[in-house]
Amino acid sequence: MILANLYNKVLGFFRQTEPEVTESSKDTARNRLRVVLMQDRTNLTPELMERMRKELVELLSKYVEMDKDALELNLEQDGDQVALMLSIPVIRAKDEEEIKEALSKEDSAEDDSDNNEEDKEDEEVESTKEDESEENTDDIENSEPNNEKEDLENHTEDTESSSNEKSESENTTKKKKSSSDETDK
Amino acid sequence: MSGRVIVITSGKGGVGKTTTNANIGTALAKAGKKVVMIDTDLGLRNLDLLLGLENRIVYTIVDVVEERCKLKQALVKDKKNPNLCLLAAAQTRDKSAVTEEQLKDICEKLKKDFDFILVDCPAGIEQGFQNAVAGASEAIVVTTPEMSAVRDADRIIGLLESKEEIKSYKLLLNRVRPNLIKSNDMMSVDDVVEILSADLIGIIPEDTGIITSTNKGEPIVNDEKSLAGKAYNNVARRIIGEDVPFLDLEEPKGVMAKLKKFFSGLTGKEK
Repeated sequence: MILANLYNKVLGFFRQTEPEVTESSKDTARNRLRVVLMQDRTNLTPELMERMRKELVELLSKYVEMDKDALELNLEQDGDQVALMLSIPVIRAKDEEEIKEALSKEDSAEDDSDNNEEDKEDEEVESTKEDESEENTDDIENSEPNNEKEDLENHTEDTESSSNEKSESENTTKKKKSSSDETDK
Repeated sequence: MSGRVIVITSGKGGVGKTTTNANIGTALAKAGKKVVMIDTDLGLRNLDLLLGLENRIVYTIVDVVEERCKLKQALVKDKKNPNLCLLAAAQTRDKSAVTEEQLKDICEKLKKDFDFILVDCPAGIEQGFQNAVAGASEAIVVTTPEMSAVRDADRIIGLLESKEEIKSYKLLLNRVRPNLIKSNDMMSVDDVVEILSADLIGIIPEDTGIITSTNKGEPIVNDEKSLAGKAYNNVARRIIGEDVPFLDLEEPKGVMAKLKKFFSGLTGKEK
């Protein structure tokens, strides 16, 4: 024990160690690279990500009350797959009335208010696979189409995707959409 | 005989494509394989320099496609190893002087007489890259543990994956500096492999010997003592199909380092 202590001190003296509180430059490089490669591989620029985030907030607010600023939307690498991770801190569930009200604001033709609760719970698992993708799009949400989303789709063209919806927990809704490792074809 | 056509590419310039080409080619030839290297970097040829063959070039690949000479006439034999040949790039022409089809055709012809056709690809992802890749069925992607090189390698991998003719590609990590990795100032081999999720075919340490070997026009694989030379030799053996473990670059050097290691072993401390 004493020996080990002494050894550390002596070694520390020679190495002139500085406490490693800060992130090493290698970690910085790795993290920056990860982010930039996600963007390269998906054609999703930071602007588009922000837009997607906003649209998701808009959409999901119809169903749950959440902390809008704390919503996190990130691209992550999962093996050789690129995953879209969505983390939403839910403040409280909206009651039926509120949801109805929110939905009635929409000029949706088929507003099936009875099934809204269910829609929310098992939001469809959608997977699209197209090898020769031309205008293959990610459907993040399947409920209400909105005009802005179509614009977004045009930008996220040729992202071969399969999406699946994870369960909704009490506090957090996690939505994971994997899109296969995709670069310009 | 039906040779394997391997393109050596990187996206980014200056990561060591041509050096890799010269060394793998030389190592394969030393292992008894018949090797031809094609420099497709028209206008910016350098492979001849690294091999010390710059004064022997009479005809180039452009002369071949424009039928001023036969393919065999344009092949320059290496000074030492008759198994090794170079088809040089033209220095006075640009990338449009040779087409994808013409390169494919040349590769097909060379396949009959050689075990390996190594295609040295120019930097970038434009026509030069498309040409170089056209005749190949395998690729080696050269990168270094630097952000810009890794990013470009990722792009190249994406492009290679979209090419039907490319059946497999491997990653070669060049200019690795174990000291910097140890001090957490350089991404490690594992970091890069994980980020690119590609199979590794070689790890080449940074070696000042590369500069002197280029000065002399003598690939470093001919230097038995060089660690980079050893690493390149191992790459060649892996290409042939041998199962060669990666060199341990982390081995501490010098008396002090060895003492440190000895003591850390005694006290059971991981440092």
